[in-house]
Amino acid sequence: MSALTGLVRHDGRAGIRNHVLVLPSVVCSTHAASEIASAAGAVAITHQHGCLHVGDDLRHTEQAFLGTATNPNVGAVVVVSLGCETLNGKLLADRIAQTGQTIELIGVQHSGGTARAIQDGLAACARLSAALDALTPEPIDPSAVTVGIDDASDALAGPLREALEARGLRVALADDVTGPEAHVELACQGSQLIVSLPGEFEGPTGFPVCPVVAVGRDVDLHRALADDFDVHEEAASHGELAQRVADRVLTAAAGEPTASERRGARDFVLRRLAVTM
Amino acid sequence: MTVPALTGYRRPGGGWGVRNHVLVLPSRSAANAAAESIAEGLGGAVAVTHEWVGHPDDPDTELVTRTLVGFASNPNVAAVLLVAVTGEDRALAERIAAAGGMPVRVVTMADHGGTPGTVEAGRPVAAGLVADASGLEREPMPWSGLAVGLECGGSDALSGITANPALGLASDWLVAQGATTMLSEVPELVGAEEILAARAIDAQVARRMVQVVHDFERSVEALGVDIRGAQPTPGNIEGGLTTIEEKSLGAAKKAGNAPLTGVIGFAEAPGDPGLYVMDTPGHDIEQMVGLVAGGCNVIAFTTGRGTPTGSPIAPCLKISTNTAIFERMAGDIDLDAGRILDGTHTLASMGEQIRDAIVATANGALTASERRGNHEFAIRRTHYPERLVT
Repeated sequence: MSALTGLVRHDGRAGIRNHVLVLPSVVCSTHAASEIASAAGAVAITHQHGCLHVGDDLRHTEQAFLGTATNPNVGAVVVVSLGCETLNGKLLADRIAQTGQTIELIGVQHSGGTARAIQDGLAACARLSAALDALTPEPIDPSAVTVGIDDASDALAGPLREALEARGLRVALADDVTGPEAHVELACQGSQLIVSLPGEFEGPTGFPVCPVVAVGRDVDLHRALADDFDVHEEAASHGELAQRVADRVLTAAAGEPTASERRGARDFVLRRLAVTM
Repeated sequence: MTVPALTGYRRPGGGWGVRNHVLVLPSRSAANAAAESIAEGLGGAVAVTHEWVGHPDDPDTELVTRTLVGFASNPNVAAVLLVAVTGEDRALAERIAAAGGMPVRVVTMADHGGTPGTVEAGRPVAAGLVADASGLEREPMPWSGLAVGLECGGSDALSGITANPALGLASDWLVAQGATTMLSEVPELVGAEEILAARAIDAQVARRMVQVVHDFERSVEALGVDIRGAQPTPGNIEGGLTTIEEKSLGAAKKAGNAPLTGVIGFAEAPGDPGLYVMDTPGHDIEQMVGLVAGGCNVIAFTTGRGTPTGSPIAPCLKISTNTAIFERMAGDIDLDAGRILDGTHTLASMGEQIRDAIVATANGALTASERRGNHEFAIRRTHYPERLVT
């Protein structure tokens, strides 16, 4: 088994991926963000949020963006603001910067429209990528990697936790959400890798900044979607399956792309707390 | 003046499209990556992605399904390729076909082993739909085939003085020709409900108009939150707006002075032509999706702060309230109603310019957001489990 390497960040945490994240603070700037990311080889989040939130829902959404932007797999961030949104892009950028994360802020209104914002974003990505490319992966202990499990109520979660911990990895369990919504929360808490245990009638999803190791169970739909899963149950006991998942987690942590990464699945499904105004 | 002629694509379901898109629609988020890959680089096809996970017991299932069905069956869509995850998801295709009458094909991920096989199987299907669609031709379109959504986003203190009343004049003219226009964003009609109700064609429509605004106000009270900061937004306030009522009185001017024919729910289709109010949030994209799902084939969108927004399938004609933002965001905004302020235009002449631009857009002229490729999409939800604490 190959030793793990990672990108050690300013706060000592280690990234198993080295993304420049282009983060739109509002749905209105998602197109500019996607154009920037695709031309720069960076990762963008496409989402429908950032405006006309109220109360806790606003703080929760801002926290989700902040947490994703400061995940250890993210080496640097370009926040793309529109300029008039409820979730203030400048304040979000300030909060991200306060964590010590490397960040640049682009505003579509500030730059003078989409075309100039894309130019400014590409220049920012070029500066940030140059700095990230200069980083050398260092050997890391498995305990530097936290694996998030997206369904704590699944009978596999317990054996899986044991198998992962036996390999020296840390484990986080999603609290009161499952599936894609749990991915956001796990990434925000610092998980660098997510193990997804989709329900019987669900297909696997990906996440923008974390590899997702999807576990297919012995149910018709999962067998039918075999290519989108990383590990298959194939009549294994929970103990055996947990061992195989944990081994696959290690290869993914060492850099081998997961099925979600191969197909470019970057779903960002945010749990909302209140209706949009 | 001579009334200009409209052209469009006659759809099998009876609607008229002003665009001819092949829509690649994922049934749920697990199909997003496949849908995007199928449409990638295929001119004439457009994919949307969304955050609908599709839990069968989700209380928003019917609202979201109605939205997806309405959106996909908009007459600007020549054909739909539904990317289904399971066989059960095919029911969505049946509803879309029933609503719009256009060709709807399905590629089911469970039949192709997951995303790679689905993309391989789906691309030729999408290419075939594009080839068929490209054989369709525009023909003379009746005014009843045109439905224009009236939006504003990033409003400022000039919205209610320049762009919105000018758009209102254009709306009145369109309604007089027999077209449909739709005002929306109920949170931004708070304080203007009685003015609109007074123009209702009957007492029932008047009651409904007042009711949707009061229902919104009650839902805000029930949340126990202060909506200032969300309505008006920080950008609105920076732009000189002080209260939601001030914003509302300006927003309502987009609807001109035509009689109010009806008040409809989110993503619901209107009846006979005329001016309608749709019950949507103020959020630009949730609102635009609702209007398009209700059948709007053109969006006219005024902006003070400047926004690049566009719809995946409906041309979105943007009108600035002031010249500074029009010049600053060159390439994102189509018309400058700020010219009313410097005397280059009157309200009436700007109304005519907007009217002419809407007609040209319907007849095929591309809008700024179409040239840029903006294609924002959002799912509206109304069920939330937790009470807010602020």
